[in-house]
Amino acid sequence: MTLVLPTAAPRRKANFTAYELTVFGVVVALFLLALIGPMIAPADIYTSNMLETLLPPSAEHWLGTDDQGRDIFWRLVAGSRLSLFATVLVVILYSIIGMIVATLATVGPRWVDELLMRITDIGLSLPGLVVSLGIATVLGPSLQSGIIALALTGWPMTARILRTTMRQTMEQPFVEGARILGVSRTRLMLKHVLPNSLDVLIVKWAGDISFTMLILAGLSFIGVGAQPPSPEWGAMISGARGYMSIAWWAVAAPGAAIVINAVAFALLADILQVRRDPSLQA
Amino acid sequence: MAYLRLISQRLVMTVLTLWGLATLVFIMIKLIPGDEAQVAAGPGASPEQVASVAKRLGLDLPVLQQYLNFLLRMLRGDLGTSVVSSKPVLTELAAVLPSTIELMILASIIGTVIAFPMALVAATYRGKAFDGITRIIAVTGGAMPAFWLALMLQFFFGNVWRITPISGQHSFGISSPNVTGMPTLDALLAGDMVGFLDAMAYLILPAIVFAIPFAAQVFRLLRASLLGVLASDMMLPVRAKGASTSRMVLRHALPNSLLPTVSLMGVLIGGMVGGAILVETVFARRGVGSFLANSVALKDTYAVLGAVMFVGIAVCLVNLVADIITLMLDPRIRGAQFRAGAK
Repeated sequence: MTLVLPTAAPRRKANFTAYELTVFGVVVALFLLALIGPMIAPADIYTSNMLETLLPPSAEHWLGTDDQGRDIFWRLVAGSRLSLFATVLVVILYSIIGMIVATLATVGPRWVDELLMRITDIGLSLPGLVVSLGIATVLGPSLQSGIIALALTGWPMTARILRTTMRQTMEQPFVEGARILGVSRTRLMLKHVLPNSLDVLIVKWAGDISFTMLILAGLSFIGVGAQPPSPEWGAMISGARGYMSIAWWAVAAPGAAIVINAVAFALLADILQVRRDPSLQA
Repeated sequence: MAYLRLISQRLVMTVLTLWGLATLVFIMIKLIPGDEAQVAAGPGASPEQVASVAKRLGLDLPVLQQYLNFLLRMLRGDLGTSVVSSKPVLTELAAVLPSTIELMILASIIGTVIAFPMALVAATYRGKAFDGITRIIAVTGGAMPAFWLALMLQFFFGNVWRITPISGQHSFGISSPNVTGMPTLDALLAGDMVGFLDAMAYLILPAIVFAIPFAAQVFRLLRASLLGVLASDMMLPVRAKGASTSRMVLRHALPNSLLPTVSLMGVLIGGMVGGAILVETVFARRGVGSFLANSVALKDTYAVLGAVMFVGIAVCLVNLVADIITLMLDPRIRGAQFRAGAK
């Protein structure tokens, strides 16, 4: 009889279903498209061609042309970097603000925690889109204003969730160990507590990208975000609205692009959430 | 007595929130590029006129004094004056608010009617095809850009198939006397069935646009709560005594899943005011949202900020009411949970 000693912990298999792999694949593809989109799009999508205005979808122009005779398909490809990266930038910016607030609330004295969490509560109960609209109006309409406005209104939920998790992480034995070893307060927070609390945000990020993309496009549509002739998708819809009755594809196509992105990230969030909490599984 | 204490805590929180919002709006007014007095006096005003307007508006006072005056004005219900129409923002908003409320009510009804049966069936047949399909539909429905959905529905139902009117609130010549500001209710009050159906036809598409994401979110939460209750220990004796599946779901799981759902519905209905900016604009309906969008288009920044303040107050009040309803539905609910109900 031989005794088999385990040499290493067996690797946990992820076992993704075909559906999950498809969603992951689409999300990766959307990121790649956003990265290379502006490089592969032909240059004439920024210039007018009055001989080819408002053409319906055809073999030559897959999604037709707009009122300036520009190819809509290639404008969408070129604009995907603006739309997706601006959205991701907003989520990154407000996550950083949320992390700073959560960290200060965790390390600071009790009154700092109390004050920051009350401000967070106030932020949570304000309508984000409306306040963003106010901020973007004051800053003057542009994509940058939209990004700043959404970054300034988006952080409270992140701060709230992260602070709760960081408090729980603080109670863990390894943090106690690090403290006994004499790790400084700042180092303890930034090197030990914060990184070990971030995984709660990963699920949230996918959902946030989906949601933020809709709001950012909405701001452009009202006219306080990206401005035509920018190929940002919300701005494209806003620009094409006036001639929708003669060229509906100019409105339908950019909207469909937004829907594809927002749904892909929402499905990703749904998958990640079910993986964290299998009781929700269908 | 615990109720009173919790409700008063919640009221204090609401007042603090509104104070925070007012401070934010004040900072934004100060950040607007250009001279406030010059804008108020109008272009082409002489320096003397500008100075007298500045004095009248209290703009020559120290900033702290201005801030206190601003808070006092907010307390009196003065949300500022539109530069374009020269009317108080509050007056203009009060006139269009019922139209927005009418839209929100119909949207919540449609959304609830869609979401509840779907969630009940999905939770009953968990893991079956219906559950899988509705889950994907719900995720998709929640990820639709409202303004785009509005444009597409309007185009196909209004322009192409001509089933519904395209935009506005009622047909030309069919309008009941304005009593409540809600076209459907006004028609009913006047006993005018033709007018009621006409106003409903104009209302249905915008309501559906709001109802879809509303239904999607309510469905997801209700399904998750139902599954949670069905898996809990309290269902064991119910199952043991031989209750049918439908009885287990309807009589036992549903009442215990209503609380989080009502809380969420409060938050979502509050959020509709924000979405109204986009949807009312597309359908050219009178309302708080289209007032905001028009003010943005006209670069009437003071009207925008006054409306932001107004919407903030409305949303806080809706949340407050939803929290009080949640509290009354569940005597067990306590401190931390109660506050979390705000979102």
